[in-house]
Amino acid sequence: MEEVSDIVVGIIMLILGGTGLFMASGALDNEIYIFGLSLAGFAAIFEFGLIRAYFDRKDAARHAGGGGHV
Amino acid sequence: MSDVMMDGFVGTHAPARAVVYNDNVVKKFTIATIFWAVVAFLVGVVLALELCWPELNLGFSFTNFGRLRPVHTSGAIFAFGGSALFATSFYIVQRTCRTRLFGGEAMANFIFWGYQFFIVMAALSYVMGYSQGQEYAEPEWHLDLFLTVIWVSYAVVYIGTVLKREEPHIYVSNWFYMAFILTIAVLHLVNNVAMPVSVFSAKSYSAYSGVQNALIQWWYGHNAVGFFLTAAFLGMMYYFIPKQAGRPVYSYRLSVVHFWSLVFMYIWAGPHHLHYTSLPDWAQTLGMVFSIVLWMPSWGGMINGLMTLSGAWDKLRTDPALRFTVTSVGFYGMSTFEGPVMSIRSVNSLSHYTDWTIGHVHSGALGWVAFVSFGALYYLVPNLWKRSGMYSTKLISWHYWVATMGIVLYITSLWVAGIMQGLMWRAYDQFGFLQYSFSESVNAVHPYYVIRMLGGLLFLTGALIMVYNMVMTVYSSTTERREV
Repeated sequence: MEEVSDIVVGIIMLILGGTGLFMASGALDNEIYIFGLSLAGFAAIFEFGLIRAYFDRKDAARHAGGGGHV
Repeated sequence: MSDVMMDGFVGTHAPARAVVYNDNVVKKFTIATIFWAVVAFLVGVVLALELCWPELNLGFSFTNFGRLRPVHTSGAIFAFGGSALFATSFYIVQRTCRTRLFGGEAMANFIFWGYQFFIVMAALSYVMGYSQGQEYAEPEWHLDLFLTVIWVSYAVVYIGTVLKREEPHIYVSNWFYMAFILTIAVLHLVNNVAMPVSVFSAKSYSAYSGVQNALIQWWYGHNAVGFFLTAAFLGMMYYFIPKQAGRPVYSYRLSVVHFWSLVFMYIWAGPHHLHYTSLPDWAQTLGMVFSIVLWMPSWGGMINGLMTLSGAWDKLRTDPALRFTVTSVGFYGMSTFEGPVMSIRSVNSLSHYTDWTIGHVHSGALGWVAFVSFGALYYLVPNLWKRSGMYSTKLISWHYWVATMGIVLYITSLWVAGIMQGLMWRAYDQFGFLQYSFSESVNAVHPYYVIRMLGGLLFLTGALIMVYNMVMTVYSSTTERREV
């Protein structure tokens, strides 16, 4: 479930971030410019969070399985 | 008492097994609730000060009343109230369905951070002067679309959790939360149908115009009250009163009957906001009649909540957190009595456009919504952070009394101010001229605006006491961890 959730949310954030950049690129007012850039930034930070959570889970599973640092 | 036994349906479920609940997202929403409570109350006090002494808007565009007002209303309803509903709904659905949240950690985090992003962006757009100009639906089209993505994700996670439940029965709180999630989705989508000027511009035009727009707006607006601020918080009440009192729900049958009657009737009540307008007379009367009939299911919930304390009333002496929850039910009963009265056309002719309405809204928002949320928070924080209890029971009691005094000052001053405004606006002299100018009515209510501001200040002070108590509960060594 966690992997599927990561992928689904990752794709949603990718689309949202891309949309944000697109909107900011042609913004006709401050609102859309700020919203678009913020959305892109939010999406990027969230994607990094997903990647970190993935490796945290892998680390936790390795430690739970008895594997240590080599 | 187990979570699943509260409704009295015992002996039918499978043997209990350990379930690891997703409490991370509940903790995050709990912190957000506390944070947004302080922000919303603070902006409310600033606005009350501006109404007393308008020069306090400092002359900046972004601090004037018109731009800060939606920050306060959205902050109170959607940021504070919404975060409280997310926190409690995710907490309750997992425990009453005895299963972990559907959708995994990533989806839950997406809902949390996405909703916070929406709130910040909406507040920013208000102070920058961007608004659809529709009460409680101020965000422009791009923010509406973003919120739709978050809300659909919320519905998927919540309904998905209910569907994969390990309990055969769906506890009544979940019915209220699901009605809230589905109805708010429909209201949001229908009321915000708009055509943007350009995909690169925040400006949009509503698909509706004139009286149709007004009717749809108040169908939305009143049901935002009915389903966001009533049905969902009743779901909260149906979980936390039995848990805090250690008693089962007084009548499960009454909870089901008042659930269905409430959701059926609330949806028709919106037109009472449009008395004496160009809306056809029959539609105004329809809204009025349903508002009055709505009194019954509303009080069904109040009676059920209060009667759940049968045999446990003594706990009110020792548990101020329970006092919050029970008082909230009292305020719920009071404001759901006042609302139908104000919807009667002849009463509305006096009360509409006056500060009586503002007082009425705050008896519901502060007395019902905020108090039931405080009661839930005082239950949640020690449980989520695995502490033995709250840091200080005395401080909860102080919070209770300071906040209650604040509400009393707030609503009584606005009753007086509102009725005075209504009477002054309709007073004629012997020649048929208006007896008072509008500015005279503004001057007349000034002392009551100051009292209202003091009431709000007391309510904010109570919230700050709560914040201190919550922080100390989590960090103090005196609230040592329980054995897990």
